[in-house]
Amino acid sequence: MTKTTIPVHLDINGHLHGLDIEPRVTLLDALRDRLGLTGTKKGRDHGQCGACTVHIDGERVLACLTLAAQAEGRTVTTIEGLAREGEMHPVQAAFLEQDAFQCGYCTPGQIMSAVACIREGHAGSDGEIREYMAGNLCRCGAYPHIVAAIRQAALEVAS
Amino acid sequence: MTVHNIRHGDASDGAFAEAVGGRLSRVDGPAKITGAAKYAVEQQLEGLAYAVLVGSTIASGKVLAIDTKAAEAAPGMLQVLTPDTIISLRTAADWFGTPPPDKPYCPLARDITFSGQYVAAIVAETFEQAVAAAALVKVSYDETSTIVDLSDAKAGDGIPIDAMTKEWGDAQGAFASAPVRICAAYNTPREYQAPMEPHGLIARWEGDKLTVWEPSQWLDGMARTYAEWFDVPFENVRLVSPYIGGGFGSKALALSHGAVAACAAKMLSRPVRLVMTRPQTFTGYGGRAATRQTVTIGADADGKIQSIVHRSVNETSIDGMWVEPLGSVTSIMYSTPNFSSKQNVVRVNSVVPGAMRAPGENPSAFGIECAIDELAYEVGIDPLEIRLRNYAEQDPHAKKAWSTRQLREAFAAGAERFGWARRSPEPRSMRDGNQLIGWGVAAGTYPVRRAYGEAIVRILADGSVEVESSSIDMGQGTYTILAQTAAETVGVRADDVVVKLGDSRFPRAGVTGGSRLAGVMTGAVYKAASSALDQLVGLAIGDPRSPFHPLQANTLVVANGRIASPRGDGPDVSIAELLKSVGRDHIEATGDTMPENSTPEERYKNYTTIAMALPHTEGDYSRHSWCAHFIEVRVDEDFGTVRVSRVVSALDSGRLYNPKLAESQWKGGIIMGIGQALLEEGIVDRRHGRIVNDNLADYLVPTNADIPDIEVISVGIPDLHSSVLGGKGVGELAIVGVAPAIANAVFHATGKRIRDLPITLEKLI
Repeated sequence: MTKTTIPVHLDINGHLHGLDIEPRVTLLDALRDRLGLTGTKKGRDHGQCGACTVHIDGERVLACLTLAAQAEGRTVTTIEGLAREGEMHPVQAAFLEQDAFQCGYCTPGQIMSAVACIREGHAGSDGEIREYMAGNLCRCGAYPHIVAAIRQAALEVAS
Repeated sequence: MTVHNIRHGDASDGAFAEAVGGRLSRVDGPAKITGAAKYAVEQQLEGLAYAVLVGSTIASGKVLAIDTKAAEAAPGMLQVLTPDTIISLRTAADWFGTPPPDKPYCPLARDITFSGQYVAAIVAETFEQAVAAAALVKVSYDETSTIVDLSDAKAGDGIPIDAMTKEWGDAQGAFASAPVRICAAYNTPREYQAPMEPHGLIARWEGDKLTVWEPSQWLDGMARTYAEWFDVPFENVRLVSPYIGGGFGSKALALSHGAVAACAAKMLSRPVRLVMTRPQTFTGYGGRAATRQTVTIGADADGKIQSIVHRSVNETSIDGMWVEPLGSVTSIMYSTPNFSSKQNVVRVNSVVPGAMRAPGENPSAFGIECAIDELAYEVGIDPLEIRLRNYAEQDPHAKKAWSTRQLREAFAAGAERFGWARRSPEPRSMRDGNQLIGWGVAAGTYPVRRAYGEAIVRILADGSVEVESSSIDMGQGTYTILAQTAAETVGVRADDVVVKLGDSRFPRAGVTGGSRLAGVMTGAVYKAASSALDQLVGLAIGDPRSPFHPLQANTLVVANGRIASPRGDGPDVSIAELLKSVGRDHIEATGDTMPENSTPEERYKNYTTIAMALPHTEGDYSRHSWCAHFIEVRVDEDFGTVRVSRVVSALDSGRLYNPKLAESQWKGGIIMGIGQALLEEGIVDRRHGRIVNDNLADYLVPTNADIPDIEVISVGIPDLHSSVLGGKGVGELAIVGVAPAIANAVFHATGKRIRDLPITLEKLI
């Protein structure tokens, strides 16, 4: 039988992982099903909700629309890799303080998007935050608190 | 099982954050913001196989044949399930516990009554292989005529639901003789819960014992259903649901996809994971039924209502029954001497509709709260004033006193904060450049549903406290408020409490729906914790080994994890030290909100069905939460686009167990209401009865960019007729009244009365 898998090497949160997977495996399913990194959530593979947002080489990317093989040789950061030496990222801390989530399912994607939104320089006003966070759906309706959390974290990151 | 240690009090909240009523931050928050929270289908199990469902492409007819040859030859294939190959199940009782017909249940259909109905399933070694193989299944059908929706000529007038009829006085006669008469029809479309986490599960059999990891709003009810399907004892089924990625009513019942996965796991003797595709979340269970209402009001020239006549229909499925109680708000919001409400349900080729945030109250309020606004303009009275003029001082239907009704206070607080007095009454009289500005108001309400729950509270050797219950937290804050309840009652710090939820092996709880869980479970935990505290103090006073024994005190004080005499004249020891001195490694107490002397059978029925829930009008009082929404819209005069620019809502949910979390839920309800008013609509293909926009790009839910800042004001007071600790419902209340407030604001902005949701631009230009 023809071999249907390929070797893929992934640099995730500073750790190297070797996988033998079918080329059609998405980065999202590789993270969740092969590596046990379930912090990145799955809204169901359409690129419509943003729950699977991760960083590749520092930019926000939808892991459900990215093949795992496409991440080879690049640096992937997921929600599990955001805290440094046990210290929560300012965006994480602000999400908790502002109660910027309820069910928590969109939250990792919101936080990864928020970190990038601040880094991109798109957290200058509430209106700008709303626009640049519009790709991350939250059905619980935490939007006003997400805006407040990003506003707070942006000030902290800048200082 | 899930464990949260509380470490994150909000410094700004002061010392009282950890008590009931304090603004303690979410105790499950750290797990959720670091990615450590493992949701149900994220359990990593050895030997997991992956199932994918195949749905029908017709809405009505019969399956003639299922060709699975190509699928069977696909790589990684483990099993093809069809109605012919899947194991036979028994029919389970419905959620009322109605004894089911003695016939087999097959979760895969031969007779099709809606598009997307499951006809086959594929199980393979990997998810990718299962998806690919499922695409190879070929199904042939004999398609028959489809009843597309309520507007289909074949749909007819439907079936009268006599239980929904509410009448007093002579409504028709009073209307005929009223000096002012208005009559209008209000429609709401199919709407979908669209939780971010799709429905799914992992099922694993070990002998005749089944474990199901599944997001669930009702562990005990779903465990009962699985047990009945597979004809095993209730105790053999364990439901685990540590976190739920949004439910909004849709995750309370075991559904056919769960049956398929559990069958596959049994047939393969392997754990099986099955998760719906996003399109399947639009057909695999019911959203809110489409509704039609006619509201007729007869009034005096000064706007005093003399008669309300209300006629309504909602859609249901061909072989299922869903009644969306459309007269629920109509019959109680305003005082009227004459009233008549009747409802039919109409069968269409749809999955049976289901519960979505405030089923009944939500569309009901859209009708009456728009109609009274129309009456206000008809008689030339301010829309807020006409509501006060017709204020119901008691429940007009039940003829009972309200337990508490802070609606007048809600109107006052909301109007003050919003600046309602500055409103210019004429439509189209307020603008900002090319934007027409409209200010609308509407009220909302939701009944206090009461059921039963039980909890165990343990005081452990190290002085920490453990709480266990099979209730759940889908974002409402159950973990947090139960920790606060146990901490305050026992007298420890909240960070010394560990709350464990979401496992059906824990003490039982009824459904998490109808905004009932917080009131039920704080009551159960309060009772269990009080009883544990009594035991602790009893040991301290009575045990000869206790350092307090010589005091011969009547009582002792426990605070911050330490025990002392009230006068402070004796020893001062930690709980851990006391337990050690009396030779105990823990104290345990169970508490519940059941009537005393309940039999085991009654308990089982209470937790696994909704048959025993207490009516909100039981006894002397009528119990409801109340709210008033004040909303500003901006309508582009050229394009007809509507933006909500300001929301002030004042809400009466009684006592709030944690205002920080309650405010989040209120705002979430308001945001879902904005989606309902302006965006959300299931669109049906009229040829095949299929939902066309069955995904999150085409079924529009609000995004961050659609939502302004929202201000919520609590006007509630403790209501001890409603719950042990004085709270009323929170989660469903705030969506009720949002859509009519927006529709009323759009009328004020544009002079156009839109009575069909959602209010989209083509209806305005």
